[in-house]
Amino acid sequence: MMAYSPKSSGLRIGMVSPYGWDTPGGVQAHIRDLAKYYIDQGHYVSVLAPVSREESLADDFVVPAGRPISIPYNGAVARVLFGPVAASRVRQWISQGNFDLLHLHEPAIPSLSLLACWIGEGPMVGTFHAAAPKQKVAFAVSPLLEPVIEKLSARIAVSEIARETLTIHLETDAIVIPNGIDVDFFAKSEPKVEWQNGNTIGFIGRFEEPRKGLQILIDALPIISRFVPDVKVLIAGPGESAEILKSTNSQLRSKLSFLGRISEADKGSFLKSIDLYVAPNTGGESFGIILTEALASETAIVASDIPAFRNLLNGGEYGALFESESATELAKVIIDLLRDEQKRKDLANVGHQSAERFDWTQVAEQIMDVYSMALTGGEKVGLVSENRPWNRIFSRDSGQ
Amino acid sequence: MKTSFVLLVTLLLVAWYLSFSATRLDRLHHRVETSWANLDATLQRRAAIALEIAHLPEIDPATNLILTGAAYGAREAQIFERSDQESGLSGTLQLLLRESDLPELHPEIFTKLEDVTERVRVAVALHVEAVSATKSLREKLVFRVFRLAGTAPLPVKFAFEDDVL
Repeated sequence: MMAYSPKSSGLRIGMVSPYGWDTPGGVQAHIRDLAKYYIDQGHYVSVLAPVSREESLADDFVVPAGRPISIPYNGAVARVLFGPVAASRVRQWISQGNFDLLHLHEPAIPSLSLLACWIGEGPMVGTFHAAAPKQKVAFAVSPLLEPVIEKLSARIAVSEIARETLTIHLETDAIVIPNGIDVDFFAKSEPKVEWQNGNTIGFIGRFEEPRKGLQILIDALPIISRFVPDVKVLIAGPGESAEILKSTNSQLRSKLSFLGRISEADKGSFLKSIDLYVAPNTGGESFGIILTEALASETAIVASDIPAFRNLLNGGEYGALFESESATELAKVIIDLLRDEQKRKDLANVGHQSAERFDWTQVAEQIMDVYSMALTGGEKVGLVSENRPWNRIFSRDSGQ
Repeated sequence: MKTSFVLLVTLLLVAWYLSFSATRLDRLHHRVETSWANLDATLQRRAAIALEIAHLPEIDPATNLILTGAAYGAREAQIFERSDQESGLSGTLQLLLRESDLPELHPEIFTKLEDVTERVRVAVALHVEAVSATKSLREKLVFRVFRLAGTAPLPVKFAFEDDVL
């Protein structure tokens, strides 16, 4: 008695990335992993994305839509693409793709995804990644966005925070499906001896951005080193470290070590090697993918108690929380964990068990469930103008 | 001359806006139909699994009766009483699962139930969202004055709480 059973294999899926494919970022990583997972499952996936250097494009499933431009968005610089030329690329991509379904990422910001949502018609799923605080501008634009966003057959939010943002700004609800990671990869990475010298604390991210909170960790360091003399802070991520080292006093300088950008493979080893992962972020975080990776690596976590992290760590069960922006509180929690190995191990162990739900095998299946519901109608993705009354009249005339 | 030109442009704009609004509403009605079809199919599947459970050898006759009754009630309910009947089935299943070793004895069927429950949750969320979007649009002045909804019935909200699943 199954009247509706849309096929769930051999789908033609079109995904749209709002951000430049060659700039590293959580949304792009999410799309890349999801696309690869579905391709492995036997689906056809095409990703439309802004690309700065087409000649160095490594992923063959990506269709470049043009060079992204930088605009300030949500406290950071976003590299996105829009405008009439981009719109015509989207139109072309949709009409040639013969897609069963479009999956648009972050369709509520001025980007390719918004264009695709505007131009496309048929089964469309949107994923909302960002967590933005109440913004006046969001209220101003919501009447414009509403008719576009309501075309989505289903909305996914990557976290409770992202869902709340959506409810407040656009008065619409979403299903929460977390970001995915490859749990096995992190669980089976090999530690490196050079990163295990003394009591090591790890930090990954663009440390120059104030909202990543590295300064809070540095401010906590004098107290920590008084109790744990052999403490070492390893910082991985792109950025200029000279400025930070100059403003730090010379005794602490030797405790900091900047590794620069590390590869994805090294990230696994890095998380496996360190004794403690610290995320002192002050806000602007929606999900915290790096924390799920640390959980998967079975590394104990100390994180600020911002809503996204509190949610992810279940109020402190899977990782220790400290009062956001307080260096003394951070120092207290870190010292406590560095001096008690058993406690650290227990915390890491409980955390590791919670990481299973972020594995792609689970996350991608949940997303596929949503796809199959969007596909119930049985139609394909088309262009919106094909259905407008006047176009129907014109095309009938020209056909005769 | 000038006034008639302004009038013409205004008329065209109004016509465009009405057509645009009608398309919007049409699309939303379509979304509600789709999400309802989804929800209906998923709930039917759940009722079928409930019946399967009712026929397990370990189930006593009284439980069998209650479960079968709830499953048939859910299957044959009219659209307006559907959510009540489905909640009833949820409650019965919950009662059955409380302090029961049935899931260990029949892991296959209870995994199926778990999967379908998860899908019901998603289907309900999608449907509720589609219905409330449609309702709030239809309440707007332009839709009421120009009767853009035509004779389409107002979609029925599915009052199904997440926590009863």
